[in-house]
Amino acid sequence: MTWVAWGCLAAAAGSLPLFTANTYYLYVATSVGLLTIVTSGLNVLVGFTGQMSLGHAGFYAIGAYAAAILTTRAGWSAWAAILVAILVAALVGAGVAGAALRVTGPYLAMVTIAFGIIVESLLVEWVSVTGGPGGIFNIPKPSLHAFYWVIMGGAAVSLWLVANLRRSAWGRAFLAVKGSDVAAESLGLSAYYVRIMAFTVSAGFAGAAGGLFTLLNGYVSPDSFTLQTSILFLLALLFGGEGRVAGPVAGSIALTLLPEFLTSLADFRLILYGSLLMCSIYWLPTGVIGALTRRGDSDSGRGGDRDSDRDRDSAGDGDSDRDSDRDRDGDRDNGGGVPLLQVEKASLAFGGVAALSEVTLTVPARGIQAVIGPNGAGKTTLLNALSGFYVPDSGGIRLREVPVAGRPPYAIARLGVARTFQTAQVFGDLSVTENVAVGVAGPRLGSVVAALVGAPWTRAAEARLRRRALALLAEAGLTEWAERPANALPAGLRRRLEIVRALARRPRLLLLDEPAAGLAPAEIAELDAYLARLRDTGGPAVVLVEHHMDLVMAVSDHITVLDYGRVIASGTPEVVRTNPAVIEAYLGASE
Amino acid sequence: MIVQLLVTGIALGSMYGLVALGYHITWVTSRTMNFSQGHAVMAGAVVAFAFYVGLGWPLWAAVLATLVILAALGIGLERVAVRPFFRVASPAWLLSTIACGIIAENVAMLTFGKDARAFPSALTQKPILVGGAGFYAQELLIPVVGLFLMGGVQLFYHRTAYGKQLKAVAYNPEAAGLMGIHIPRAVMCAYGLSALLAGIAGVLLAPVLNVAATMGTIIGLKAFAVAIIGGLNSAPGIMVAGLGYGLVESFVAGYLSTGAREIIGFALVILVLVVRPWGLLGSRPARRV
Repeated sequence: MTWVAWGCLAAAAGSLPLFTANTYYLYVATSVGLLTIVTSGLNVLVGFTGQMSLGHAGFYAIGAYAAAILTTRAGWSAWAAILVAILVAALVGAGVAGAALRVTGPYLAMVTIAFGIIVESLLVEWVSVTGGPGGIFNIPKPSLHAFYWVIMGGAAVSLWLVANLRRSAWGRAFLAVKGSDVAAESLGLSAYYVRIMAFTVSAGFAGAAGGLFTLLNGYVSPDSFTLQTSILFLLALLFGGEGRVAGPVAGSIALTLLPEFLTSLADFRLILYGSLLMCSIYWLPTGVIGALTRRGDSDSGRGGDRDSDRDRDSAGDGDSDRDSDRDRDGDRDNGGGVPLLQVEKASLAFGGVAALSEVTLTVPARGIQAVIGPNGAGKTTLLNALSGFYVPDSGGIRLREVPVAGRPPYAIARLGVARTFQTAQVFGDLSVTENVAVGVAGPRLGSVVAALVGAPWTRAAEARLRRRALALLAEAGLTEWAERPANALPAGLRRRLEIVRALARRPRLLLLDEPAAGLAPAEIAELDAYLARLRDTGGPAVVLVEHHMDLVMAVSDHITVLDYGRVIASGTPEVVRTNPAVIEAYLGASE
Repeated sequence: MIVQLLVTGIALGSMYGLVALGYHITWVTSRTMNFSQGHAVMAGAVVAFAFYVGLGWPLWAAVLATLVILAALGIGLERVAVRPFFRVASPAWLLSTIACGIIAENVAMLTFGKDARAFPSALTQKPILVGGAGFYAQELLIPVVGLFLMGGVQLFYHRTAYGKQLKAVAYNPEAAGLMGIHIPRAVMCAYGLSALLAGIAGVLLAPVLNVAATMGTIIGLKAFAVAIIGGLNSAPGIMVAGLGYGLVESFVAGYLSTGAREIIGFALVILVLVVRPWGLLGSRPARRV
């Protein structure tokens, strides 16, 4: 079905010059092509990574002027000029992203708007380079027919690149950061770095389209690069369907053709765009492509199950998995003597309220250490401090003798600390398998260029990742869900998926934040067995924050009790169970 | 020269601050804002022009009618473009308010016309001359009204019962809701007030800037820049940033060029955010884990 649609599209694009010599139609078609290239790139930023840009006309302009200047003043060939246009736009994109992505939401929107306006103003003001308001003329211009093929080819290549990217470790990292940047960081991904890469890629695409735009027209002037242009890019993407590879094509066709059909309504152009935007927000939240493919979801679900059966069969004979098992075991033996984690007098206050005061805790390299205490005792705060989301005001946290307090979450995760969250944080747009694959890959994403072109070695790595993810899912009894989106999982299974994903990195230390909350008794029993098996089969050390006392007493080797941010008791389950201070904290004073 | 630049800078800056306060008011109550706040300024100017010049109403009646209409537009915008997407993580509200803005601009173009027109005012008839500097009385009126209103908004939030309720919503919507504060109504009021402030800015600026259907975008963007520089959750930060931005702009335009004005102004925004990511006086939102 999908292939038929792509085939028709390619046939239409390919046959257009045969049927008509009318340059107007060819020109409109090239406009669709250019818009497709820009929005394909923007899709990586907006659709995959969930960030907004209202300044992409700026990158379009940089590509356009770079090509114009190189072909006119430096006399370069069109191809070389386009290549440089892409590089310059991507480079500027990386710089802008470095500043812009330190902030989110409206702050990010502001930086991108500001960037767009600065570029636009520079085009007008910096006359010696840009030619000022008049722009640059007399750019060597190929024939429209020849260039038609170049632009259509460029659009096809763009779609292919983005499709490759979506299937790669980078694509999953983008969607993971969009789904939950906190969970992504807990798996070793720096959300900041991942977003910068998405921004850079999208700027490169805009630069390419800008360069082609210049060469197509033979001249370039500042009017083409206003805030309106940036909004148009975004509108085309959203109307077509963000996050879907085909979305940019549908949006570009609609947004280019509609005003052409309605030239008599030129005075109503903004009303048209505005209404289109409103309609797509109201009735097409996933765009035209999203609305078209939603109906077919049940079918593709069944197809997915077949795939996963096949993959499960092949998962049995994966040798590479065992290699990495050996690596890990060797690694672990080295650290045998020292405690895995030491917390020394860690204190943390929120606006005068002490959430942790002088908490001291030692976690050995193996076994399950429970942290219990009444609500508000500081248990989750402790986990957040251990995983780097909070920085203690004083005191130290050392992981295998390395001080880690103050390091960002992804850096601590890379040292072998994995965690789950009180409300399970799965990456909703990714399939269950892909969720686990994010955990398996961790920060090892490879080269983004290799991911874009789908280099053979990235494909081989993909197959390995997938086999390992499926094997882990099979162990956890999640195979039948493997190809479903993580959003579709019931709450209990989300928690399980989160644990599988956390373990996929083979951490040294696993932090579990109330893994039994909201589970049915039968599920708790399963969790109990799962944790016991994990401990007995040489799994990571576990710090377990939990309210279900039966579970805690059954699986824990050691229990630390917190109350009002202080450690009030510590010892084996038997010792803690009979400790008077613990009984008082839980039940109130006995007198 | 310096006096003239100072007067212009303070006049424009106080308006940026006033419009920016509109972003702040809705942001703290709902974590959303009208991205077309500048178009509300334009609407204020255009509607006032229609009543005052078009229909020949007396100035006070025209202004009063304008303000009522603007508040109604703000409330309508909230209903149509914000409420359906309230607290949705997606930026749908951002795009829907932009959509309403560009529709409004087109409607103004169709009804008011494409050309800029002068708004007659007794206060812009004759420039006041001080030393070598010349400026209009309107430019003195603008910051007086602007600062007075900013102070009024602050008093409203800190002294009146309803203002305190709105502030409570800003601090903690869940708790405020549990205390019996009707949150949708609070958000509606915030949007009404926000558009009202923009409308006042439009009426005040009309005689100085001329009225045009396309005047909204750049005013809105600069006010947004001011809100971001000052810190979206800090009203005092926004007032300071507004005056500062107006002055920088006025002096850059005076001593360098009007072209450099936009470049330096917006580069300053990026610079401030690199150094202080949540604005000069704004505070970082707590990270939820």
